[in-house]
Amino acid sequence: MSEWIVILLRSIVLFFLILIALRFIGKRSITRISPFNFVTYVFIAGITALIAVNIIENWALGIIALGVWVVLTIGLEYIAMKSKWVHDWVNGKETILIKQGKIMEENLAQVRLTGEELLRELRNKNVFNLADVEFAVLETTGELDVFLKSDKKPLTAHDLGHKVAPQAEPQTVILDGNIVTESLANIGLTSQWLTSQLESTGVSLDNVFLGQVDSSGDLYLDLYNDVFPMPQPKVKELLYANLEKIQADLMTYSLSTDDTTVKEMYIKNTEKIRNVMTMMEPYLLR
Amino acid sequence: MTVGSKVKQTVASLKGIQATFRIYESQSQNKETKSAFAEAIETTQTVIKDLEERIRVLEFEEPQYKGK
Repeated sequence: MSEWIVILLRSIVLFFLILIALRFIGKRSITRISPFNFVTYVFIAGITALIAVNIIENWALGIIALGVWVVLTIGLEYIAMKSKWVHDWVNGKETILIKQGKIMEENLAQVRLTGEELLRELRNKNVFNLADVEFAVLETTGELDVFLKSDKKPLTAHDLGHKVAPQAEPQTVILDGNIVTESLANIGLTSQWLTSQLESTGVSLDNVFLGQVDSSGDLYLDLYNDVFPMPQPKVKELLYANLEKIQADLMTYSLSTDDTTVKEMYIKNTEKIRNVMTMMEPYLLR
Repeated sequence: MTVGSKVKQTVASLKGIQATFRIYESQSQNKETKSAFAEAIETTQTVIKDLEERIRVLEFEEPQYKGK
């Protein structure tokens, strides 16, 4: 057999072998692996290349070395999943670098980080002021994770005491002018609903590049033709404005009548509409 | 425009709002959202009932404007 056929066959076989092996090893991103895992990957890659280009002539020996590394990696990860002790031993433990706002110099020296490098890592996390940091930990992957002091954290609706409506993830229902029936079914809608929505906006399906439905059922469309202005769904804001108008109307009626029982009825209903408005505000305006 | 026809207009737009609430109630998947919209529908229903009663009285008082 001539040499090029050997290399061709080996390459094809190894291509799929490595594909399968890496599927088993897992889904972790290459930038977030521990140094040891990195060495494993490099070794597997190296051996594969050496077998493929026929530098390791006896392919059985190459496969044995490859198999040992792949199986050991998978096996060790499996054991590490079951036992915390093995996990710490294999992956190392995270190191606390800043605790209660104070830098732990011994830990810093232990992970071979200088003060400058620590500051650079902090800046990477958008923290320029050391005084803002309450706690920082160096993960086993070499990434620094920062916990800010409570008054320096981004503001949330919870901090403001605002109630916000629960929102599920939006579903992409149109892609490249095609209806995605699976995601439509996920939110309990049909393609008939979608076509009627498109008709009411006056857009044909093949003009739509992307269409998304949010959890309250509003459809957002992006068209191929960007010159054509696309109205944004404003039904909820309108609804809230209408409620406001009705409340004002009822107030006017209560002022223009002389009958006290009718006046009371109007005032009571004004109050009811006001309650509906405060209750619906998170759903309609936020 | 008389008071009667004004109130009728208010009832009509209130019914429109109620219908939209109903659409959102059936469209939302979240239980909490669903119950919030259901409550809003109920409250608007009581307001509509009160106003419709008032319309009947007004029509009795100003029969010449009935139906407008």
